[in-house]
Amino acid sequence: MNSTRAYTIPSHLLSTWVARLLGRAQVIAPQAARGSDVCYDVVDTPQAVAWDYRSSLSPLKRFLFPQSDRMLRWHCDGDGNVRLEPTYDETERVFLAVRPCDVSGILFLDKVFEQEPADIYYLTRRQRSTLVALACTEPGENCFCVCAHAGPFLEAGYDLQLSPQTGQHLVEVGTEKGARLVRESADLFAPATDQSLQARQEIARQAEARFGEARAYFAAVMRRVTFDRVPDEVWGQMADRCLGCGGCAFVCPTCYCFIVADYRGANGGERGRLWDSCLYETYALEASGHNPRALCKHRLKARFFHKLSYQFAQRAGSHGCVGCGRCITTCPGANDMPVATLSIRRGEQ
Amino acid sequence: MDNAYLPDLVKIAGMREETADTKTLALRFLDPGRWEAFQYRPGQFVEVSVFGVGEAPFCLASLRDGADNFEITVRSAGAVTGAMHELSVGATLGVRGPLGNGFPFAEVSGRDILFVGGGIGLPPLRPLIWQMLTDRGRFNKITVLYGARTPADLVYKDELRRWQARQDMALLVTVDVPDRDWKENVGVVGSLFSKVEINAANTVAFVCGPPIMIRFVVQDLLKAGLAEDAIITTLERHMRCGVGKCNHCLIGDKYVCQDGPVFTYRQMKAMMDPG
Repeated sequence: MNSTRAYTIPSHLLSTWVARLLGRAQVIAPQAARGSDVCYDVVDTPQAVAWDYRSSLSPLKRFLFPQSDRMLRWHCDGDGNVRLEPTYDETERVFLAVRPCDVSGILFLDKVFEQEPADIYYLTRRQRSTLVALACTEPGENCFCVCAHAGPFLEAGYDLQLSPQTGQHLVEVGTEKGARLVRESADLFAPATDQSLQARQEIARQAEARFGEARAYFAAVMRRVTFDRVPDEVWGQMADRCLGCGGCAFVCPTCYCFIVADYRGANGGERGRLWDSCLYETYALEASGHNPRALCKHRLKARFFHKLSYQFAQRAGSHGCVGCGRCITTCPGANDMPVATLSIRRGEQ
Repeated sequence: MDNAYLPDLVKIAGMREETADTKTLALRFLDPGRWEAFQYRPGQFVEVSVFGVGEAPFCLASLRDGADNFEITVRSAGAVTGAMHELSVGATLGVRGPLGNGFPFAEVSGRDILFVGGGIGLPPLRPLIWQMLTDRGRFNKITVLYGARTPADLVYKDELRRWQARQDMALLVTVDVPDRDWKENVGVVGSLFSKVEINAANTVAFVCGPPIMIRFVVQDLLKAGLAEDAIITTLERHMRCGVGKCNHCLIGDKYVCQDGPVFTYRQMKAMMDPG
C-alpha cells in the first residue's frame, strides 16, 4: 500500500473516516457559521464538516499561530525568586478539507517560522499537524489563487489532497504523514484507477478555466515594488482610503506580525504574543516618541513591500499573497491586493 | 529546538544614577554557565524583561573583559524602562541575547577612529571605546566627540574625566545649554568638528545618537570627505522579538535586530524605507 500515491474513497464514507480521525486527533474543518458563512473550526461530529463550501471566512493560521498565544508563565515566591515555565501546545491536529490557498498560506508561514532562530511555538503545533487539502472546482466570489499559483489544485505541499469526483473523492498522497492516515483506515480507501487519475487532470483543467482570467499580475508588480519604482502618489491615494483598521492583516493567511505582552497575576503571570498590524499608527512607535513610520502611506508602502518584493519572496519561497480574496471581502477602503497591484502597475489611481 | 523567546534570569548586581532620568544597571546571570556562554561584542544588544511589564531592547553598554556582569544604561521613557528605574539591587529580571551583529573591530585596525555620540547614544559606543583603549596599539588616533543637552545630561561622568586625562586619546564634550560652571564647548555635537583634525582618508567614524543628530553628523562627515562605508552607526527601532520574526524593526527588507543594529551609511542609504 505504501507505493501507491493515490486512492479513492466513496463520498458517503467520508463521515466514517472523519469519525475515526476524531478518535486520534483534534480535527479542524470548515463548518457552517452565522448566515451563509463557513469557518474553519474544531469538529465535534463528522456531520459538521462542510464538504462543498467555497471558502472559509478566516484562514487557518489562528490554529498554528493564535491571535493571542501564551508563551510562558512565571512564578514568584516570597523571596523574589522567579521561575520560568514555557508553555507549548502539543495537541495532535488534522486540518481537514482545507482549501489550497490556505494550505499555501501555511507553507508560507512554515518558511517564515522555520528560519533560524526557529519559532518553537509555531513549529511545535505544526509538527503535530496533518494537512488534508480539498481541491477547488468552483471559485468563490473573490478568489484569485490562479494568479498566485496557490490553487485551485495543489501540486505539492499537502499531506493529502482530496478532490471530488462522481460519487467518490480522489485522495492524493503527498507525504508519509498523509499516507499514515490512509493506512490507518485502509478498509475505506481503494487504490485509484487510471480512469480516476485521468479524471483528476480533466477536473483540474476545468476548475482552472472556471477560476478565470488573472486579476493580479504579480511578476510586473514585484519588479516595480522591488526596485522602488512606485510613485509616492500611489501610496498616498491608497492612504486616503485606508482606515488603519488592520483587518487585511488579520484575515491574511500570510500575515504574521506580532507584539509580545505580559499579564501580571498574584504570584506570577504570563507572557504571550498577540497579532499586530503594520498599518496601525503605533506599530513602529518608539519609547522616545520617534515614529519611523508616522504616515499611513509609508505604512502601506512597507506592507506591500513585505508582501511583494523579491527580497521577501526569496526568504519565504513566494510572495506574500495566496489569492484567497479575503482582503477584498474585508477592506472597507478597497485597498485589497488586486486593486493594489492594479494601482502599482498603472502607477496612478 | 531552542526557545528563542525564553529569557535567562539575571539579578541586578548594581545600580548607578547617571542623570536625572538615566540609570546604569549591572546585571548578573543566576546561572554562571549562562554567563560563560554569553560572549558578546560591542554593538550587540539584549532584550531585557521586567516580568509583568514587558520586554525592551538595550545595547550592551560595558565590555565583558574580566567582569562577572554586564551593564545596560536605561533612560526612563516607556513602561519597561520606567519600571526598571523603580527596581533596586537584587531584583530579578530576564535577559535574551546577545542579539544583533555588533561593531567591526579587527576590520578597522590601523585606522583613525572617530566616535560621535549624542546624549544616550554614548552607551553603545562605550564598550567599543574601552575595547580599543585596551588594545590601543592596534589603532591610530582615537577621538571621542560627545554632546548632550545640558551638563547634567552627560552620562558616565567619571569615565569622561578619565578619558579626558588620557594622553592616548582625545575627548571633546559639548552641551546645547551650559550651566554656570561649564567651561567646554557650547553647541550641537557637529560644532566640535572644526576643533579636531580629521584625516578623511584614514578615518572610520562610529556615530550614535538621536535620529536628527545622526542625520546632521553624517552630512558633516561626508563633507569632511569620509567614505560612505567609513561611517558606521547603530540604528534604533522598536525591536519586539529581537529574532527577526515580529517585523517591527524592519527597514525595507532588513531586520535591524538581525541584520543590524550596526550598519554603515552606505548600507543605510541602500535600505528602502519610507519616512
